[in-house]
Amino acid sequence: MLNLRRFRSIFLSLLLFMMFFVPQISMAETLDNNVPDARPAASVPILKSAISLPVAGAATTNQLNSARWLVHKDAVEGTSKLRLVIDTSDPVIVSSTLDGNGPQLVLDIKGAVVGDLDDSITLDGQIAEKVRFIKKDGNNSQAIVDLPAMIDDGDYKVFTLKSDTANKKSFRVVVDINKPVPKVVYNFTPGLRNKVIVIDPGHGGSDPGAIGPNKVQEKTVTLGVAQKVKAMLENAGAKVLMTRQTDVDVYGPNASAVDELKARTIVANNNKADVFVSIHINAFSNPTVGGTATYYYQKSNYDALLATCIQDGLVATGGLQDRGTYPAGFYVIKRTTMPSILAELGFISNPAEEKLLSTYQFQQQMAQGIVQGLDKFFSQAAKRGGGL
Amino acid sequence: MFPKRIFLVVMLLLMTVMLGGCDNTTQQPPVPLQNENPQQQAAPIEGATVTPSSVGQDTMKMTVYYATKDALNLVGEQYVVPKNTHPAQTAMELLVAGTKNPELISVIPAGTKLRNISVKDHIAYADFSDQLVKNNKGGSASEILLVASIVNTLTEFHDIKKVQIMVEGKKIDTISGHMDIGEPLSRSEKIIKK
Ligand SMILES: [Zn+2]
Repeated sequence: MLNLRRFRSIFLSLLLFMMFFVPQISMAETLDNNVPDARPAASVPILKSAISLPVAGAATTNQLNSARWLVHKDAVEGTSKLRLVIDTSDPVIVSSTLDGNGPQLVLDIKGAVVGDLDDSITLDGQIAEKVRFIKKDGNNSQAIVDLPAMIDDGDYKVFTLKSDTANKKSFRVVVDINKPVPKVVYNFTPGLRNKVIVIDPGHGGSDPGAIGPNKVQEKTVTLGVAQKVKAMLENAGAKVLMTRQTDVDVYGPNASAVDELKARTIVANNNKADVFVSIHINAFSNPTVGGTATYYYQKSNYDALLATCIQDGLVATGGLQDRGTYPAGFYVIKRTTMPSILAELGFISNPAEEKLLSTYQFQQQMAQGIVQGLDKFFSQAAKRGGGL
Repeated sequence: MFPKRIFLVVMLLLMTVMLGGCDNTTQQPPVPLQNENPQQQAAPIEGATVTPSSVGQDTMKMTVYYATKDALNLVGEQYVVPKNTHPAQTAMELLVAGTKNPELISVIPAGTKLRNISVKDHIAYADFSDQLVKNNKGGSASEILLVASIVNTLTEFHDIKKVQIMVEGKKIDTISGHMDIGEPLSRSEKIIKK
């Protein structure tokens, strides 16, 4: 009779046997076959610190071999940065300066001459215009990146990467340049009086949004809170526009998701609103998760401030766990032109919070938090003055 | 009887493979990953204890991202799988199958299937069945983690720089009405738990 140990050993040897015969094709090669005439890949987006590598002693043949670039669009935050990668045969030492005379980033590359690569490469045009490679004395070279506008030290990063033979990558100089935040000038005055505020109750009509374990729907709670915010803001003298006043789709019944979102941004953009506030209720598969979070998309120097003020207001009046403020590439806050936020008041998937969110009293507290946050925002933004 | 039956199946399999092996043409049993539960062939391994020596010539290592219990971050879980010609597909199938780690949470909605994955010009087109949208429970926290887990898992491969999420063969603009995912997206490092 076959005992269990024997069965296990047969099974394992069978497994090993099968594994041995699986075709030996590497991941990288396989994927390369699918990209016949693709631009060479940029380096792995794992950021390493910009510590210079030692220059190889007598290597006189070290040179800049090739350069390539890619615009990286962060999946979560929706922000863009341009990554320029320069391949070198051996390690180099790189230092960088923002040229004081114009919008230029200058990289001094010590230990490599300009090799057989194009003198100038056109970049995306929005984040950076072009890069030029210039021969310097001895073993050194320079790369000059022309920018469309002045940037700050915090807007770019330069670092080196070691060669990676497993993935057929040479030594690399990497330059990351963030898409600059537009220097929009707003001259906000303190107070809510005469402010044009767009309130966007999330979801509605054919789209219920998230649904709680006891069947409370996101669209009902967001509308309830939005109506209370409207009443309070109007009492304070603000002009309030709602993207929807009832349980309807904003664009039209069963509109495509994007038409629906776009319709909400049009309300704000066409009415020259001062700020846009989108109200949502969160959900997650783990029912114990709860709390308030506020999201912003950094289009100006005011979006993060608006998020902080409203988050603080909501946490103060609602008392739920403070999950903080985060940048996010949400459609309605990305495509509205004025400072905008999307607040996730609580988690409808959390039974205790679902119950709270369905009550008049708690909706009133949440509305109060948003109004307090807006008031605080206008007073702080007024102190900041135009542009910053 | 239970053991007898397994014994027979194993012996039959073994004989088939042996016969194939004796025959000097290098015919191997095909590895139909698409029709199998990836859990059966891929063993999750503890991230910290992986040493290069544990990954042989015939296996490959891949990282699949799942959510933390607090819905704030993603954590990469490492798998060692038999080498095959479609590692990106294998990684997506592991993601869809979900994690067994009780400390992590699977984010792909129940019933979702991977329809197809292709890579062109360093952009992966990951096409899912419509359960990705229909069975989504809503909430921007879930949407962020879902999108980032797909994008981050695929951009682990050196030749994938961006990911276009598709449903039933078409590009989609959003999953649950918050995120703007109409164009190819790159990796998000900040959401990964450090
Ligand atoms: Zn929502």
